[in-house]
Amino acid sequence: MPHLNRRNFLQLGSPLMGLGLADILRSRTQAAEAGQATNKKSLIVFWTHGGMSQQDTYDMKPEAPAEYRGFYDTIKTSVPGISVGERFPGQAKVMHHISQVRSVHHENGIHAPSAHWMQTGRFGPTLARNAAQHPSFGSVVSRAKGAGTRHMPAYVTVPKSEAFGYQGAVYLGKASNPFEVGADPNSKDFKVPNLALPKGLEVKSVENRRKLLSQFDTLRRDIDNSGVLEGLDSFKAQALEMVTGDQVREAFDLSKEDASLRDRYGRHQYGQSALLARRLVEAGTTCVTINTGYWDHHNEIEKGLEEHLPPLDQAIAGLIQDLEERGLLDDVLIYCAGEFGRTPLINGHAGRDHWSNCFTVMFAGGGLKGGTVVGASEKFGGGVTERMTIPFDLFATIYQTLGIPLDTHYEDASGRPTSIIGEGQPIHELL
Amino acid sequence: MLRLAILLTLIFATHSVASAELQPVSFRNDVMPILTRHACNSGGCHGKSTGQNGFRLSLLGFEPDFDYRALVLQGRGRRLFASAADDSLLLAKASGRVPHGGGTRIDPDSEDYRVLRDWIRCGAPDSRPGERRLERITVIPSEAVMNTSSESVLTVTAHYSDGRKQDVTARSLFESNAPEIGDVDGRARVSTAKRGGLFAVMVRFGGQIAVFQGTVPFPHVAEVSLNDAVAAAKVNPDGIDRNLIDQWTRLNVAPSPAADDASFVRRATIDICGTLPTPEEVTAYVEDSSTVKKQKLIDRLLERPEHASYFALKWADILQNRGRSYSSRRQREGTTLLTEWVRDSIAENKPYDRFVSEILTATGSQAQNPPTVWYRSVRTTQDYVESVSQAFLGVRIQCAQCHHHPAERWSQADYYSFAANFARVGRKGGFADAEVPTSEVIFLKDHGEVVHPRSGDVMSPRPLGGPDFKLSRYDDPRAALTEWMTSSKNPFFARTMANRMWGHFLGRGIVHPIDDSRSTNPPSNPALLDKLSREFVSSGYDVRQLIRVTTMSAAYGVSSEPTAHNKDDIQSFSRFQLRRLSAEVLLDGISQVLEVPTVFAGGPGKFPMGTRAIELPDENVPVNFLDVFGRPGRTSACECERADDPALAQALELVNSTEIQKKLTAKDGYIARLASNDEPHAVNVREIFLKVFAREPRDDESNAATEFLRSESDRVEAYRTLLWSLLATNEFMFNH
Repeated sequence: MPHLNRRNFLQLGSPLMGLGLADILRSRTQAAEAGQATNKKSLIVFWTHGGMSQQDTYDMKPEAPAEYRGFYDTIKTSVPGISVGERFPGQAKVMHHISQVRSVHHENGIHAPSAHWMQTGRFGPTLARNAAQHPSFGSVVSRAKGAGTRHMPAYVTVPKSEAFGYQGAVYLGKASNPFEVGADPNSKDFKVPNLALPKGLEVKSVENRRKLLSQFDTLRRDIDNSGVLEGLDSFKAQALEMVTGDQVREAFDLSKEDASLRDRYGRHQYGQSALLARRLVEAGTTCVTINTGYWDHHNEIEKGLEEHLPPLDQAIAGLIQDLEERGLLDDVLIYCAGEFGRTPLINGHAGRDHWSNCFTVMFAGGGLKGGTVVGASEKFGGGVTERMTIPFDLFATIYQTLGIPLDTHYEDASGRPTSIIGEGQPIHELL
Repeated sequence: MLRLAILLTLIFATHSVASAELQPVSFRNDVMPILTRHACNSGGCHGKSTGQNGFRLSLLGFEPDFDYRALVLQGRGRRLFASAADDSLLLAKASGRVPHGGGTRIDPDSEDYRVLRDWIRCGAPDSRPGERRLERITVIPSEAVMNTSSESVLTVTAHYSDGRKQDVTARSLFESNAPEIGDVDGRARVSTAKRGGLFAVMVRFGGQIAVFQGTVPFPHVAEVSLNDAVAAAKVNPDGIDRNLIDQWTRLNVAPSPAADDASFVRRATIDICGTLPTPEEVTAYVEDSSTVKKQKLIDRLLERPEHASYFALKWADILQNRGRSYSSRRQREGTTLLTEWVRDSIAENKPYDRFVSEILTATGSQAQNPPTVWYRSVRTTQDYVESVSQAFLGVRIQCAQCHHHPAERWSQADYYSFAANFARVGRKGGFADAEVPTSEVIFLKDHGEVVHPRSGDVMSPRPLGGPDFKLSRYDDPRAALTEWMTSSKNPFFARTMANRMWGHFLGRGIVHPIDDSRSTNPPSNPALLDKLSREFVSSGYDVRQLIRVTTMSAAYGVSSEPTAHNKDDIQSFSRFQLRRLSAEVLLDGISQVLEVPTVFAGGPGKFPMGTRAIELPDENVPVNFLDVFGRPGRTSACECERADDPALAQALELVNSTEIQKKLTAKDGYIARLASNDEPHAVNVREIFLKVFAREPRDDESNAATEFLRSESDRVEAYRTLLWSLLATNEFMFNH
């Protein structure tokens, strides 16, 4: 065929499952065993659920009148010419590793559809209670790359999934849903509920059950050629291993870290989540999304930001520094975004409202150019003046970095091939 | 049009080359197919709704007028230069001389390039009004039996309105739906792989589609007498089994032998009633020496209330009886009403045509007339078209909302005139629960119209693919629609239901997926599907009769274990297709074995103790187990939403959930009973196996189990461990 990419065409119902789950599991295992995923890079996301103010953090407007400028002073960073808000001193020191995209734009100002937009690249439901229509970028990463090692989950959310239910896999299949940690990693005696046994059940009993299961689980494997049976077998083994084995539990065990390093990340939920994320990607997880509280600061934004910004800054800066010291910074892409930014003009309640017209997201590591600012907003904020960037551009940048082919299409429930980047293009200034 | 002509004259007049020197090139008949063949207008490139780098074409070239404007008028006229045709952006980019995101598509030395260049040199004329039109394409052969590892070449003929024909093979596009069986290259060469099976090749030229169907008999693995196999499979050579035998003969596949009685009673009880058979039911069936025990079993199962509940669950999914909203309590009154109505309809074996008509033509209050509740989740133009066509006509017409269906005849006009059948559905009242109000009153409005989004035309109500309904202003278009649907001549309605039931019981539709009927997705056994549909119509849409015919077929009775003669076959129903127990059936099954019912939360009030998961009115009753095992969100009419794909969360739910642990440790459940009885372990083990697997344990299993039980000092813990292990096996979690 002349240059035909099969994925460009409507896939007809294939008598076999096409690229079925068995293939996915196989490629995941093979890739894991051969260490040959497209590349071994992974992704850590800080999701600012509710919408972080760009104008008090990355895109400062020191020259603007007070009602736009906000409460914070501007501080210098390690990159001449780039400054940030004074609550980001940690990131200021490592700004040469950080890039900002200050011209992100989409066309909705309501939480749920905006979260759908920033998680999936597409406009979605207009109500929080409505189901997601497209897979999150984390699920795409999970589906496309799988986990780097056999027993680790490919995609993890800490402490649990957020973004109004739009961090899941939808038509990519349940295997690409995130594994939810389910607890605050900073809590005393932090344990993962999903890996902890219910009351009264001992590890020894699970071992016994496992032994007996292997004895009685004798249904012929060759009666299934859909891959479902093989898939379930492999997940059963994984689940039993996660619950009773050492590898996964150790990855989740923050007590293995030096107290001083834990302090550096910060003894709070964001810091310990970031540290956990580093442990997980080291152990083979491909995408960790850290959901950071709720940033919907319509009232008294200063108070809200005082609560959120210092721990976020410490967590991000701590992570960058730690990865750099371990020589891993080029292998781990860090991304910080929420569903939108906040209004440039401070409202009558000393807060800022929803703003998707022009806001900032942050990238670091992953081999991307650091110390770069892409795009620009108007003098007092508000609109994009330079290089409009759409959500799919951000995903295209992420996928390109992680070695996921940009022409990848997945079929939605109706069988329609759906592009993972829509009309997006990677942000070449960062690559 | 006049302006266009003037502009073209200005652009090209001074430069056009005397046309006598060149072949006349037709935009529609010659240029457009080239753009399609080279994937310029594919969904990944310029054909997507946003175009690519500012250049947008209609998807797969279904809108030539649009494409003409895009090529000739847009892009500030830079796309085409008559005086220096090779410098036209169209050619410079397509041939890769100027950087092109899509790479080099058209070789400058190729015929296609020459055609485009000639057309540009001639002044890039649009097709003339009286020009011949492409009416259809045919492919020869249209079907063939091919050996494995063999080749064959297709010929594509275009038929034009002037009666002329032309060989357009070299300019057509080909795509196989099963390359692992038979693939096709760009030069129309079909080549089969090493295994047998059925495949189809879609041929596309100039907005027309044709299909080649290939049958590849499986290579001989060893001598087997089909007659012997057929006898061992207990095939009834009359009735629908005849069609199965024909297909097995064609494909050189032999069926697996008939399943044993214990397997069959488990299989049928699960598929008809969503329930496991009890040890007593298994034993009674196995020991029954009647020659008609199968019929008797099926009839008995169809009469059971569990059958009505289980199929009501299935239909509540398809009808999107959705509880998710801001107020579960208010929604639940409605979801309960509809689910109970469906349950009653199934219990009384309401003829299927009436069942569907009552839903589609429902009017009145959602607090009183249950089928109107369907209109709660189905409320937009898009919902009406897609739900009705997919659920009842087996057609996925979604694509035609925004563009011509890429692999079927459906146009946007078809989509919006079908929508017009629902344009006069009126709603009033109801508690406004944001997007999903409760308890509305559904009525027929005096006016209401659907407008074609591109042409702006007001569409008249019309069946799928048919001429407009003849309606007076007093007629409800929905009545005309259901009359058309339920007529015995309707090509979709009975067939879709027959195929849906076949898919339910055999794990795979004859058309697969079950609701994706199109010429490019042919049925695996057309004669079988025709016969099932005809019988369904002549029975007066008797669903139970359809289920009887389906479950009495040899395909439903054969073992799931493959033989050397069918191990790679999944299309001809030569063995029973393994499938998972659905979420609700699995949870109920565990409750039934352990004798500990699930406690379902959720209002109003709690569900009475002993409520089963298959009886829940909607998907919004919070049960983590059901969600992780694939309970659908009921957001579409597609049964595919109930996904059976495995996931880590499912395995974790089995391994360490409180739900399962609670059932295993209940004070008055089966395990407690086993631990406190005085029976020898072997006796208990036999009963356990009958309960869990609906069969006696084999000797080795019985020995292993009793040995394990004896070795454990704690009797309760011993039985708990054994039961868990058996419930976590594939044999329990699958229907086979």
